Amino acid sequence: MAQTALAVDSPEHGTAAPRRVRRLAGRLGADGRAWLLLLPSLVFLCLFTYWPIVQVLLQALTIETFGSQATSLGLGNFDRLFADAAFTGALLNNLVYAVGTIAPSIALALALAVGLQEATRFNALLRTVVFFPVLLPLVAAAALFLFVFLPGIGLLDYYLATLGAGQTNWLGDPDLALWSLVGLTVWKNAGYYMLFFLAGLQAIPLDLYEAARIEGAGAWRRFTRITLPLLGPSLAFVLVIALVNVITQVDHVVVLTEGGPSGATDLLLFYIYQTAHESYDYGKAAAATVVSVAILLALSLVSLRTLERGVHYEAS
Amino acid sequence: MLTKSLKLLGATGLALGVGLGVAQAQTEIEMFFPVPVEGKLAKEMQSLMERFNEAHPEIEATAVYTGSYDETNLKTRAAIKAGRPPAAVIMSANFILEYQLNDEIEPLDPLIEAEGSSADAFMDRFWPALHGNARFADRVWAVPFHNSTPLLYINADHFREVGLDPDNPPATWQDWAAAASKLVKREGGETTRWGLMLPENYDYLGWIMTALTMSNGGLYYNPEYGGEVYYDTPSMLGALTFVHDLAHEFEVMPAAITDGKAVSTAFFAGQTSMVVLSTGSLSFIRENMKDDYRVAFVPRNVRNAVAIGGASLMMPKGLSEEKKQAAWTLMNWLTSPEISGHWSRFTGYFAPNRQAYELPEMKQFIADNPDAKVALDQLQYARSWFATYNTVAVRKALEDQVQAVITGDKQPKEALEAAQENADAQMRPYVEATALKLPASM
Repeated sequence: MAQTALAVDSPEHGTAAPRRVRRLAGRLGADGRAWLLLLPSLVFLCLFTYWPIVQVLLQALTIETFGSQATSLGLGNFDRLFADAAFTGALLNNLVYAVGTIAPSIALALALAVGLQEATRFNALLRTVVFFPVLLPLVAAAALFLFVFLPGIGLLDYYLATLGAGQTNWLGDPDLALWSLVGLTVWKNAGYYMLFFLAGLQAIPLDLYEAARIEGAGAWRRFTRITLPLLGPSLAFVLVIALVNVITQVDHVVVLTEGGPSGATDLLLFYIYQTAHESYDYGKAAAATVVSVAILLALSLVSLRTLERGVHYEAS
Repeated sequence: MLTKSLKLLGATGLALGVGLGVAQAQTEIEMFFPVPVEGKLAKEMQSLMERFNEAHPEIEATAVYTGSYDETNLKTRAAIKAGRPPAAVIMSANFILEYQLNDEIEPLDPLIEAEGSSADAFMDRFWPALHGNARFADRVWAVPFHNSTPLLYINADHFREVGLDPDNPPATWQDWAAAASKLVKREGGETTRWGLMLPENYDYLGWIMTALTMSNGGLYYNPEYGGEVYYDTPSMLGALTFVHDLAHEFEVMPAAITDGKAVSTAFFAGQTSMVVLSTGSLSFIRENMKDDYRVAFVPRNVRNAVAIGGASLMMPKGLSEEKKQAAWTLMNWLTSPEISGHWSRFTGYFAPNRQAYELPEMKQFIADNPDAKVALDQLQYARSWFATYNTVAVRKALEDQVQAVITGDKQPKEALEAAQENADAQMRPYVEATALKLPASM
């Protein structure tokens, strides 16, 4: 194991430095070497992830009052957070947004992957087309959709009008605005998730399908009995990414709606931004951050477990 | 090792710069500036800085582009918190109060007095409407840089088409609603042309509501104390009911939220006959509007009154004496009649410095552009811009409710009660530390 790790250095065998490293590594033992290799990322993780989490926790527990330097510790920020209708609104919006984006984009990605699985030239072209939105940064996509969603003159209304539909204010109607963002997100993410499914499909042995065909299984049966179960690990992985995206992506809210109208598109992360930088309520913003970090941690824990189970399933 | 060579590199660069310029050490200062309208303003600001540095060899000023007004506010706060404040910031005029409440900016009076001038004489350079957001709490806190008011833009072709006189635009709410009803076009159940559109995105909507409330005799907020807004009042109720009726009774305005960008696009496309937009959009409209158009005052119900908008220069605390002086020189230069007028002609904002309009090139410009003259004339009816503790959150408390009225989810009265309650909650920490901090029983 150590040999393979150090083999990376082989082109520079002649120089003194690698030899010194090798001697050092030999003296450290297996655990020491592992830590040594982890060290660079660990330093950055501590600096930019763990230390900020500790600070946010401290900030969330610190209660400040205007006009005085004195602070006290307590859960007051959390009390105020849960009493804030804007926070519960954002939480609810985020839930609707999660359900609304994850299920359709995964279903779409799966359908696309299965449909474009065979490597023909035409399929390669279609894959590129479907993958294209992924190449755009979310901010840029959102800026484009500003013009797609313009009532009356935007692309969407323009083409809908040729079908006889009237004007719709996609972003200005509180009942529609969140769903417009959902539509944008599905368009943006489906191609990305498709990529994982395509990779997963490559790993499924073809003889399974052949056997199924000989046994007389139809296309739908082959999909539900072979493709879907064997794509389990990919599905679990995509689910984790999709869940994390739901909480960490906010660009489109900033560009398109700023959480409006009447807070209808206020998502958790945007709520935190507003509380911290528009209301300067750092305590409450930190409390909201703690809540969202907790949700993220819980989600990744649960999904990583399922992911591991999926891998075992495939191996057996 | 790396830092050492970097320092060396910096020193060489500095030595070169000094060698080419003057032998004496330059004062380096940074100015944060936002670009609220279009990209080319940023370029113009860079060239202004080059001109300034050429004229002042003892100062090396750099303009740092910091995004929108809100982002500039954010970055300024971050810089102050980090202990590295910029020497000057072009800040949205209604955010200045909060910096003063938090004790984060320098009063400019000592710098004014050191020049042998007085605060009165200094402020007299600027239009009276701009004084309230720059001079309060007995001190001068900011220097107006570029300002605006909301303005009514009308499509003259549409006016003629329905038999209205474009040179006699609506001046009262009565005329306004009547004109909008004539201008609106319906086919079947669909509206193909709106009578009026208002920008209803956050920030813009609050400003429009301020204009309507003030035109209805209201004050909107307490200009003397940052802990009070007057949302649940007759003047605001009248204004909001008027907005409600435009959308739901007369049906001349969309009953959904339209963004400021969508409003100007619809105006260019002839999909709406009237819009209310900032005077800061004048140049933009002038360049892009194909139809004949006119501008007019925002119509009144009780009186003509609008709030100013735009930005002022302010100086954060914690600067060295040299930097303070250098920043003060820059602030004065940027607001001088010549530069003020130049920037005004370039952007469409009006020049806060009154003397700018005495310059021949400015007189020529006003003669060539009668729409700029209307914007200037409305200034005598302009008032201070709403500013309180927690300005943005207090503004949003109203905006969310107004949006709910426009979309038909709420009635004006209940909306205003909710807005007042939320706004009061946002200002409570300040109110409890000031007006409600009373002597305990002895």
